[in-house]
Amino acid sequence: MRVEPFDTQRHMIFSRRATLFTGGAVLLFAGLGGRLYQLQVRDYQQYRGLADDNRFNQRVIVPMRGEIYDRFGVPLATNRQNFRVLLIPEEAGSIADALEHLGDIITISDAQKQKALREARRGRAFTPIEVASNLTWDEFTKVNFELPNFPGLRSEAGNTRNYPWQDATAFVVGYVGAPSENDLQQEEDEATRLLYRQPGFRLGRAGIERHHDEVLRGQAGSLTVQVNAHGRVIEEYPNDGDRPVQGQPLGLTIDSELQIEAKRVLAEPFIEPAEGEKPEPVSASAVVMEIETGDILVMASVPAFDPNEFNVGVSAARWRELNNSPLNPLLNKTLNGVYPPGSTFKLITALAAQEAGFKPNYRVNCSGKIWFGNRFFECWKPGGHGTMDMRDSIKHSCDTYYWNLAQQLDIDLIADVSRRLGLGQTYDLGLGTQQQGIVPSREWKQRYFRSTPEQQTWFPGDTLSAAIGQGYVASTPLQLAVMTARIASGREIVPRIVRVNGTGVIPPAPRSSLAVNDDHMQIIREGMDAVVNQWGTASRSRLEKPEWRMAGKTGTSQVVTLQRDPVTGKRIRNEDLPREMRDHALFVSYAPYDNPRYACAVVVEHGMGGSSTAGPKARDIMNAVMAKDPALRRAYDPSRDKPVKLSDISRSAGQSVSGGMP
Amino acid sequence: MSTLVMMDSRHGVRARLAALNWWLVVILTLIAAIGVATLYSVAEGAWDPWARQHALRYLFALALLIGIGLTPLRFWLSMAYPAYFGVLVLLVLVPFIGEVNMGARRWIDLGGFQLQPSEYMKVALVMALARYYHGLEFKKVSNPIYLFMPLMMIGAPVGLVFMQPDLGTALLIGAIGLAVIMLAGLSWRMTTLGAILAVIGVIGAIRFDLLKAYQINRITAFLDPESDPLGSGYHLAQSKIAIGSGGVSGKGFMGGTQSQLEFLPEMQTDFIFTIFGEEFGLVGALGLLVLYLALFIMATNIAMKAKSHFGRLMSMGIGLNLILYVLVNIGMVMGLAPVVGVPLPLVSHGGNVMIAIMAGFGLVMSTWVCRNQDTLRTSTSYYGSIN
Repeated sequence: MRVEPFDTQRHMIFSRRATLFTGGAVLLFAGLGGRLYQLQVRDYQQYRGLADDNRFNQRVIVPMRGEIYDRFGVPLATNRQNFRVLLIPEEAGSIADALEHLGDIITISDAQKQKALREARRGRAFTPIEVASNLTWDEFTKVNFELPNFPGLRSEAGNTRNYPWQDATAFVVGYVGAPSENDLQQEEDEATRLLYRQPGFRLGRAGIERHHDEVLRGQAGSLTVQVNAHGRVIEEYPNDGDRPVQGQPLGLTIDSELQIEAKRVLAEPFIEPAEGEKPEPVSASAVVMEIETGDILVMASVPAFDPNEFNVGVSAARWRELNNSPLNPLLNKTLNGVYPPGSTFKLITALAAQEAGFKPNYRVNCSGKIWFGNRFFECWKPGGHGTMDMRDSIKHSCDTYYWNLAQQLDIDLIADVSRRLGLGQTYDLGLGTQQQGIVPSREWKQRYFRSTPEQQTWFPGDTLSAAIGQGYVASTPLQLAVMTARIASGREIVPRIVRVNGTGVIPPAPRSSLAVNDDHMQIIREGMDAVVNQWGTASRSRLEKPEWRMAGKTGTSQVVTLQRDPVTGKRIRNEDLPREMRDHALFVSYAPYDNPRYACAVVVEHGMGGSSTAGPKARDIMNAVMAKDPALRRAYDPSRDKPVKLSDISRSAGQSVSGGMP
Repeated sequence: MSTLVMMDSRHGVRARLAALNWWLVVILTLIAAIGVATLYSVAEGAWDPWARQHALRYLFALALLIGIGLTPLRFWLSMAYPAYFGVLVLLVLVPFIGEVNMGARRWIDLGGFQLQPSEYMKVALVMALARYYHGLEFKKVSNPIYLFMPLMMIGAPVGLVFMQPDLGTALLIGAIGLAVIMLAGLSWRMTTLGAILAVIGVIGAIRFDLLKAYQINRITAFLDPESDPLGSGYHLAQSKIAIGSGGVSGKGFMGGTQSQLEFLPEMQTDFIFTIFGEEFGLVGALGLLVLYLALFIMATNIAMKAKSHFGRLMSMGIGLNLILYVLVNIGMVMGLAPVVGVPLPLVSHGGNVMIAIMAGFGLVMSTWVCRNQDTLRTSTSYYGSIN
């Protein structure tokens, strides 16, 4: 075999280069091996962890809120299933596209789209955004069928709050809403913040929902889900040690049936509308208390709002509408409506007079007006009442009688009696804000006018105004109801609204006797009885049955001073004034007269007359209360009774329930 | 009829089969078997759609390898240029009759089989260059005039493949061609000069936007994959997680969570090493690397032993081709090389690479069988003319 000379050289070079390449390849392979060592041995733990993170997501399970029941176990706030669609911005790519796709399947309003886009812009790509909720079952199945084609969209059957009685219990129960950015910032606990970010989570925003939020909220649980790269859940593993705990239920003292009836009665227009016109809407409130326990049976304020709207998220336009309405539908007037008590305050003046030594047979002749200071004080009855004693003065609500007393009484004594009867203070109900009202006294006036010393002096004229519940005196319907309950029972009744909490039924605290002579009180009671049952100012407001026998006191409090016609100089009738200048109408009452169980206060804003407007409304409410007589019925006890099912109520009392809904 | 061929036929079929390098076949089969098993696992424990086809393709390709191996090297020498030009024509045709897939036109549809000429070009280019240097006097190798032809032979397919666009394959073709020129004995001086020119060329290519955005993205993502975990670096980050979480012993056959849960794309092709690494761990991955290295060293060994320059350059070129595939692919899935879409030979699912690689090793086999033939010519006149 020949060996070619030229081949020797190139063979040699080839061998060298081939060896070089082989060496290089071996080195590079060693590099690969080294890299394998790095990944699989040195950094193994790290990658193992990342792999598990890939596979397993921890998800927070939003706990169910505790339910809220009324005094007989009727649900006031429950949880209902909510089919919704969530969007995870991180996975969706274009959010606008995802919404567009979803819009092809179900209808989404532009407002919803805008909201989703806004939330997405807030830049929490990993947090799901609710893009559609409260879907029907049909919509939900349709969405579920199409959803796998759209990355980033996820459907969920969650829970949401349901307020079956809508606006009737709005102020008692309150409402829930999604946590705001502000809530998130204020919350310091990381786990709670995470819970706040869950799309289904709602925070108590008003009423019982807000004040007892931590009790109602429950405890969040967690869930380990195995997901694939598309975020699709392959398997779910509930974390045994970390199951969600539903919030504790609360039982209130409210009687939903009476509450709905009270709402209906309050909302009835009291002025006959002109032909073809809509009746003027009423702004009124009522409180009914059980005297024995202080339980608030009815806390009604109209107009109100539907808390379900707030749960879903109320639109800006609707919010403005509610906020700007002169009827204040967002205000719980039983706690936050502050009114001059008017003639209902005469009960206190009469008590104070007795404490100052005036006998019930103290007589005053009313001629229709008295001269005091530099002007006439005119009694509401132009011709005057004639001569009357203390009972008669209550029965006829004679102003002159009290002006006479006021000239001989010290304001501080009146203030003291007022406070003993429950005015000028707030009560720890665990329910929203509460106005304190005003019980004027010398000290109060100094404090009130601390920046203008020349106004700090208490004038005798001030006492005259205060004696008939005008001037500086101001109180809330709740305070008036407490006052009535205290007069009726002679004991220091304190209102409450939470009856049952997680530990069971809370026994009502025993109430000590008032520091008021019961003989004095008896005169007041007799006067109140006469108001209704002996042709007094509220004789139209007698109850249906004689044995129910209600005692009461009317009140008409001026919003502006008496208006006179500039030409004739005559008083202008209330009806002829614009609404906002008309008098407030008040009525306080209790029943039955001989064995008082219920106290009631009704205030009709600009209702013109206590006897014409507030009295009849109180009568209708008390008729319903007496007919049911809830104090004698066995109330709900979670250790013994099952709560009432909503479906059962709507079947048995469909009429009254639907009557409570707009 | 040549005397050599007649001599072979006298030995009979058994002797000819015995002359084959069966170790080569054993290693190739082991690697392909790993491919079948991994594809079975990727399909979540199913023979379809990949594992069965992969096995059948391998058997077909093995038959092809043996056929090529049994054919005298002299024939392949004569086929070198025709093969090169044939594949080049196919590459030229691709833009006109090719199928568009994932934004690139790389395939020619041959009634169900997607022919990807660029894969065959790697083998054909090695053959053609080996043929060129086989007949070139050594002192002319570093002569720029004689360098023109081989550079043209490399440049034409590289350009065509780059236009498809398939940057990864184009670079691999270029690298293989240049490696063969190096093996042929290009002087270091010329090599250095060429390297400098190449660097200038790359800078120019970037400056004049010859690279597509996704190609640049892929390269930059490789440099810092964690910077953009859901963008182009996402695959890389996920692939590293898969391999890393395999640990020393792996999660066990069919036990890979990353791959089974679809965190990785294209698992049956470019990213197949990740699931293998995840399920078989460091032990398995090193084993596979050893098999590839063994294959390469056998090719080197055959090249060293071959008396013909054609056989030498071709075997070495085929071996280097394989090793480049492996380095780029495994380097890529472990974050050491850019994500350029290069499959793992014999393991990734894909007919073209399988056939090209097996055909290439068929040529290596032929070189082995004919290792003692030097000129590959029966006549002496040929050498007379170049001496």
